[in-house]
Amino acid sequence: MTAVTAIAAFFAWAGAAAIVLADGRRGLAVGVGLVALGFTALTWADGAWLKGAFLLAGGALCAIELLRRGAQDWGLMPPGSTPRLILASVGAILALWFAASLTTGPDAPLRFACVAVLGLAAGRVLQGNAGASVLSASAALAIALASASALAPSDPGFAPYLIGGVIAGGASLLPVAEPSGA
Amino acid sequence: MPSIALIAPVAIILATAGAVALCGVAGWKIDRVVLAVGAWAAILVLIALWVPVRSTQELNAGQLGFGPFDLRLDGVSLLFALAIMVPSAVLLTMQQRSWQEGTVAVLGLAAAVLAVESGGMLLTALAGGAAATLAVILLDVEDPRSPRPPWGMLLAAWLALSWVGAILQVRGGTAVYSAVPVSALTVPVFMLLAAAALMASGLFPWRGWASQLWGRPSLRAAGVAVATLYPLGFYLLVRGYEVGDGHYPQFWLQAVLAAIGVLVAFGAAARAQAAVTRRGYLGEVIPGLGGFALVGISLGTPLGLVAGLATLAVAAVFAGCIPLLPDRAGTASLVVIAAAAGLPPGIAFGVRVVGLEATFEAGNLLGLIGVAGAATWIITIIGAARAIGLPGGRGHPVSETAPRTALGLAAVTVIAGPMLGLLLAAVALPALGDVMQVPAGVSIANATSVVTVSTVLPAFALFTPVLLLALAAYIAAGPPPVKALARPALFTLPGTQFFARARESVRTAAIPAQYRSLLDLRALEAAATGGGPLLWLAALVALAFAVTR
Amino acid sequence: MEPELAIALPAAGAILTVFLKASPRLALLLGSIAGALAVAAIVVAAPGVASDQLGVMLSISAMSRALLLAAAGALGLVVAFAPSGAGRVALLTWGLAGFAGMAAIAAAPSLDIVIVLTLGIALLHAALAGRRSLAARLRAPALAVALVGAGLLFARAEGPPMLARFAAVGLAAGLVAVLGLLPYIHEFDPEEVTAASPIAWLAFLGPILGVVIVTRARDLVPTAAAAFGAVLIGLGLLNILWGSLASWLTEKGTSAWHYSFMADWGLVLCAFGIQVSDGQAAAVLILFGLLLNRLPLYLWSRRSMRESIQTDRPINLLAAAMLAGSAPFAGFAARILLLRGATQLYWPLALVIGVGLLLWLPPSLRLGRSLGAPHGRQAVGVGIALAAGAAIGLYPQPILSLAGL
Repeated sequence: MTAVTAIAAFFAWAGAAAIVLADGRRGLAVGVGLVALGFTALTWADGAWLKGAFLLAGGALCAIELLRRGAQDWGLMPPGSTPRLILASVGAILALWFAASLTTGPDAPLRFACVAVLGLAAGRVLQGNAGASVLSASAALAIALASASALAPSDPGFAPYLIGGVIAGGASLLPVAEPSGA
Repeated sequence: MPSIALIAPVAIILATAGAVALCGVAGWKIDRVVLAVGAWAAILVLIALWVPVRSTQELNAGQLGFGPFDLRLDGVSLLFALAIMVPSAVLLTMQQRSWQEGTVAVLGLAAAVLAVESGGMLLTALAGGAAATLAVILLDVEDPRSPRPPWGMLLAAWLALSWVGAILQVRGGTAVYSAVPVSALTVPVFMLLAAAALMASGLFPWRGWASQLWGRPSLRAAGVAVATLYPLGFYLLVRGYEVGDGHYPQFWLQAVLAAIGVLVAFGAAARAQAAVTRRGYLGEVIPGLGGFALVGISLGTPLGLVAGLATLAVAAVFAGCIPLLPDRAGTASLVVIAAAAGLPPGIAFGVRVVGLEATFEAGNLLGLIGVAGAATWIITIIGAARAIGLPGGRGHPVSETAPRTALGLAAVTVIAGPMLGLLLAAVALPALGDVMQVPAGVSIANATSVVTVSTVLPAFALFTPVLLLALAAYIAAGPPPVKALARPALFTLPGTQFFARARESVRTAAIPAQYRSLLDLRALEAAATGGGPLLWLAALVALAFAVTR
Repeated sequence: MEPELAIALPAAGAILTVFLKASPRLALLLGSIAGALAVAAIVVAAPGVASDQLGVMLSISAMSRALLLAAAGALGLVVAFAPSGAGRVALLTWGLAGFAGMAAIAAAPSLDIVIVLTLGIALLHAALAGRRSLAARLRAPALAVALVGAGLLFARAEGPPMLARFAAVGLAAGLVAVLGLLPYIHEFDPEEVTAASPIAWLAFLGPILGVVIVTRARDLVPTAAAAFGAVLIGLGLLNILWGSLASWLTEKGTSAWHYSFMADWGLVLCAFGIQVSDGQAAAVLILFGLLLNRLPLYLWSRRSMRESIQTDRPINLLAAAMLAGSAPFAGFAARILLLRGATQLYWPLALVIGVGLLLWLPPSLRLGRSLGAPHGRQAVGVGIALAAGAAIGLYPQPILSLAGL
């Protein structure tokens, strides 16, 4: 494990934590950006330049759309976000325990990043109600899932990364349909 | 004859269904003719397939997906197919019905025939289940508000049979009747088979669907439903002998089933003697005969099985006869009641005599069952005497009655009494040979007599003079001056009020008001479907915990 | 080339129908042609043979192929025999889009791609106009995707043997969550249009997802196959009980249908969990019944449920019999196979399942009545669905052969 991959994994977790803690579009954009950066760095560290590029492009598109539209506020750690803070912290600890202690093998940073982002993004989708936060978390999920394919015993090819990147980029473009029911 | 010909009876009946539907949709008013032609043609073809060969013929047409498509025409399937097809053909010929009812009725008939012609248990389960479904639909099409067999119980019966077939395939490698290893038919498996049989035919001591159906305003669908469904449960019990190499896994199973049989017969007799209308009495004829048939079939002896099968054949004739009877006094009604009750020298008398003889010869506990059977028969006869003077009933449409045909059928059972031996030899003995080892040398029946273990019943010699005397007495007496009036029952069964009250209280049971909040279904539904993350995470933790055990 | 065409053609058809909304007949015609060509490509595709035209190894297994054809049949039935006044173009659009997604999932070379695609489909589905919020619609599918992803991680990581079991839990729970079964029931609004409702997951997208996840999961966690099967069976029994009772007792008709789908899926989960060939065969038949019988009947019953029409005609009883799994319909054959498979595994399980099967009848009678009195084109459609159900029930071998069983 090099310092680069460790920092990249930390960035990925930090991005997921930002998505969990932020309600505003700027905070969410930073979160998605950090997640994309982190996983891109992890992918490039493996020499998969094209795959990393897909993730970076998707994450960047999502972040740009978040910044381009809607109210531009950070919304970081609004009142009542203590449970979310605990979630982010505990998520990191559990992911670290899983990646570094419970499991063995050379891809510990990637495992840490994947578990952390999967868990935190899923948690955000479960507890979020606003469209922007849910879509941002979904984008992070897509990036993490695509990156996780690198842990397969055989080369997954570029397809997961391309699809993950497209989903991450497209998530923020989706119209958030307001419910038409009572 | 090529084995593919075995499919002909079912194919003809299915084609008849298609033709009836076509006639109905096209507006051609010839569907009753088509029904009659198709039903009787199928019977003729079946007999034509059997007579030249008179031994087992099989057709294996490949895999269906859950088991083989295996048809078999042997003595058992011939007897049961005729017991189903003949009364159905009579009813389809004599009763006016809409083309929709006719189509469904004939489809049900095809399914029932396929059930008894199939060579394996799974195909029987599929076809029998289809027959049950179609019978229920037929009854609902005619009148959704009148009583019909509990669909759930019928579904349970055929599901249970399919499970038996599945168990036999798993344990024995096959569910084909002739190929199942005897060791696969264990006591629990047989109990499941027996339960399926009892539920399929409604063989219960209390008032089951076979008697409830006769209370419907119209008897078109009821007659066909009883004719197609009622024999199927008995079929399973008979095939049980084949699977078990001539006997059930243990003696006590035979005793229990025989006891159930006598209770069924007694229950029918008790209800019959307390009936307030003649229709109510006649509604207990089939269950009563069914009870005696069950006793005979369950004994596990060749004579018992022959008697049981013959009793079933008699029940089949009455299944075709009773729906054609109008609800009024008259010669037809008198003859039907007398014939059904088992007055000498009718066949109903003969088969009951042979059946009771079989129970005494079987000995042990079964002899006691024979004594109970005799007492039940006496009650049946007393009930018949009482029923002659009862009011007719609510009456059903004239277009579905044929009193002369009903009279003719009942008269045939009386006149054919001296030919008891011939009936047993022609119809029941071939079936016996398929499922049980018969001692070589001595035949149970021949044209003139029935040979039991301890004696010989010279049916022809004994019954013919009785028949002639009865005919002479009837001609001399002239038309019977019957006045319908209400008569008191001979006795009421103790506990019937209690059971009726208990059943009603169970049916209307409700959670006490102070506890209803504990079981608020709406709140439970809201909690389960609310999409709560906590519930989801808790479920995940529970699953993770479960796999670590 | 066939797997690629199987994905591209319905996707193109869906896009065409969107652009041609103003000319409904042309939209229907072109969309139908695209769908038919996709079906032809699937029929021609050799099961299991990979195609690499786009740089990705795509192949469709025999079981997936069979279910894709069933889904195509269901879509054809529903669009061709839609009740008058129903938006056939919209039905075709969303059907083709969903079909393209299903084909992509079926053809995907790895479970990673499957779950990423599932996330994409979930996002598109959540974005549809409906009565529930985007967040409500996305919750369960996103959780599902995360759970399956976690399962993949656990399965591939080197560590203690217990990880394989947790992987099995993740995969099973993820499958249940994406379908919307108990305990991960998707929020359901009875008035919501079907394309945007959880029924789309249960009855259209779900069958392919179920087959793909289950078949790939077995290869992923061979050491935890028993645990995987046990979890599926446990959740299956839970859904059998809940689905059948709730379908019977709930107040709203559409909710009753929703729970009936869940009950059927309970049987499917049990069948998959049994892990013998009879179980797989039972699962395939039940899924065929779900696609070709239950889904079309549900769609055809929506109008009469809105108008609170209940009838007791022969066609309602036949529909009830089919939904209850009575002979001679496909459900009965599936039940025979399921009982046989359960008996091979553990006979008390067969007893429990057998008792549970009796609970199908009361809600099925209710659902049959809710179909109302179909007439015209709709009656023909109901007749075709009944005939197909009976044909499969009497002779399921061709379907099983098609599914490679």
